[in-house]
Amino acid sequence: MTITTTVIGSYPKPPDEGQPFVVRKTLHGLERKEKTEQDLARAQDELVRTIIGEQEAAGIGIVTDGHGRWDDILTPFAKHITGFEIGGLLRWFDNNVYYRRPVCVGSLEWGGPSSVDAFLFAQTVASRPVKTVLPGPVTFARLSVDEHYGTHEEFVLAIARVLAQEAFELEAAGARYLQIDEPALLDAPEDLSLAKKALELITDELNSEETEVTLATYFGDAKRLGADIYDLPAEVFGFDLVSGPENRAIIDSLPDGKKVQVGLVDARNTKLEDLGELAHDIGSLAETFGADRVRVAPSSGLEFLPREKARAKLARLAQAAQRAETNGR
Amino acid sequence: MTTKELDGPGLWTTSVGSFPKPDYIKKARSQFARKEISREDLLDLERRATREWIEFQTSIDTDLVVDGEMYRGDMVAFFAEELPGLEIGGLVRSYGNRYYRKPIATGPVGRDHAVTVDWWRYAQSLTERPVKGMLTGPYTICDWSFNEHYATRRDLVLDLAKVIRDEALDLERAGAKFIQIDEPAASTRMDELDLVIESMAIVTEPLSAHTITHICYGDFHNAYPKMLDIPVDQIDLEFANSDYSLLEEFSDDPFTKYIGFGVVDVHTHDQESVEAIAEGIRRGLKHIPANRMFVDPDCGLKTRTVEEAKTKLTNIKKAVDVVRAEL
Repeated sequence: MTITTTVIGSYPKPPDEGQPFVVRKTLHGLERKEKTEQDLARAQDELVRTIIGEQEAAGIGIVTDGHGRWDDILTPFAKHITGFEIGGLLRWFDNNVYYRRPVCVGSLEWGGPSSVDAFLFAQTVASRPVKTVLPGPVTFARLSVDEHYGTHEEFVLAIARVLAQEAFELEAAGARYLQIDEPALLDAPEDLSLAKKALELITDELNSEETEVTLATYFGDAKRLGADIYDLPAEVFGFDLVSGPENRAIIDSLPDGKKVQVGLVDARNTKLEDLGELAHDIGSLAETFGADRVRVAPSSGLEFLPREKARAKLARLAQAAQRAETNGR
Repeated sequence: MTTKELDGPGLWTTSVGSFPKPDYIKKARSQFARKEISREDLLDLERRATREWIEFQTSIDTDLVVDGEMYRGDMVAFFAEELPGLEIGGLVRSYGNRYYRKPIATGPVGRDHAVTVDWWRYAQSLTERPVKGMLTGPYTICDWSFNEHYATRRDLVLDLAKVIRDEALDLERAGAKFIQIDEPAASTRMDELDLVIESMAIVTEPLSAHTITHICYGDFHNAYPKMLDIPVDQIDLEFANSDYSLLEEFSDDPFTKYIGFGVVDVHTHDQESVEAIAEGIRRGLKHIPANRMFVDPDCGLKTRTVEEAKTKLTNIKKAVDVVRAEL
């Protein structure tokens, strides 16, 4: 049996202690007009190459580009969507990390692909499949300000229509692993049916049987959504078992034919998980659902950790999955 | 707790805490990190920069002065460097291209010497005006650190509360009449607001100084009005960066403490006009009387340039003068 390991999305940008932090310096240089956009793109390419290399070296099965070019999951899209402006800083959920809040000031229109080139680059440098990440429409809307549509539903659906075009382009470019992040849905159970409608606008644009959609949640538990979360149009459902231990009950009710992506390693604390306990946890998930229906991952994006710690966490996760496989034989 | 009342007309001008470091400090800090200059060399320059900021605040007639934190990297790491049980960890991103070294609790947290008193004494020696004692609150130190030692966050917060209380008592003994215990993380998790209140009570209970806490970038809508239960005399909040929308909350539940009223956005190069700031203060005065209001920037100014920060502070002072004349 093989248990697939993956990541949720982000990866630390700072290099190991003592190494030059090229992206940071280039951004400073760009501000002072001593560097160009091309210099930045080159520095980001190099960062993404390193990030993917580290994930693969740790033994991760499905990788991401670590959001190496992004500050958060909203801005890179909002920047390419006509009708959005970029607003002030706001706390990113319960983290000491801040994002710029998109402000919707007019009709939303797709202004061309936001993430396709980044995907193509990542897939070129990776030897494993690359997962691409889109912000979910409910999360996008809830973390933005609407000064145009007036109703939450219209706003969410307008965002979904634009993201659907992005998803279509990503699939056409060859992306087969598409993750849609809906962390804000955990605290908004009243949006569940709206989320279904919005996500269907996106999944309806996908044509390939091979394209697999993951609906990812993190930073909490889905107990207010309960098993109704499985009504959403996705093949894989992602839960954070570190911040939301109560997700266990929801994972237990995973419907036949669906897969689960389980965040088991704490992506927000440096303390390293015990290998034996982790392997045991992974083993029992594989036993319950069958190894092919289980993906194991960190609890959220890894950008909350220093680089060395993130790498150690991934190595530990991959080791534990391997041990669980050996034990399960 | 009972609020310690202050005399005077109100609309006192002050600052949240940090100011931008002049280029010679930035240079000296990296030289010190590379061991090219001594600790004493760096200290000399930090004293000079502190003196310059105090002189500037005096020149614009600031009522309640801060030392500007020329000697602090950031508000949590500064304490982590000095407190046993906390270690400085690796770089993590805060926002955009900004990074900080996130501490790690690796053992029981304690305090073996006063951390801020010498700097407070030095700053106070430079001015007749009161200088704020500046501490980071126990909840925020915990929230902005990794925890590899304590079984629960609460255990870590309560140990930190005793440390910060002892530091506050030392400041008070040295003569500080205003002590600010920053809790920017306080409005992060509603289910832990009780822990913020409990830990702040440990810090402020023995103090007779006017106590202040600064809170920012959180779920204010849900944290208010419960936030008023945090046992301090004054809460300092950001208003400018949300176009004063926080004031709407005060219509249903009146603000009952002294307020630190943030009137300039600290994350933009743009300068608010004197009239825009004055209008913001007038909006605030519909909810809070002048004699309960301190006026200041939204947050620490350390991410601005020295010139940007000085202009913002000068505009605040001019706006306060405009509004005072109308009272």
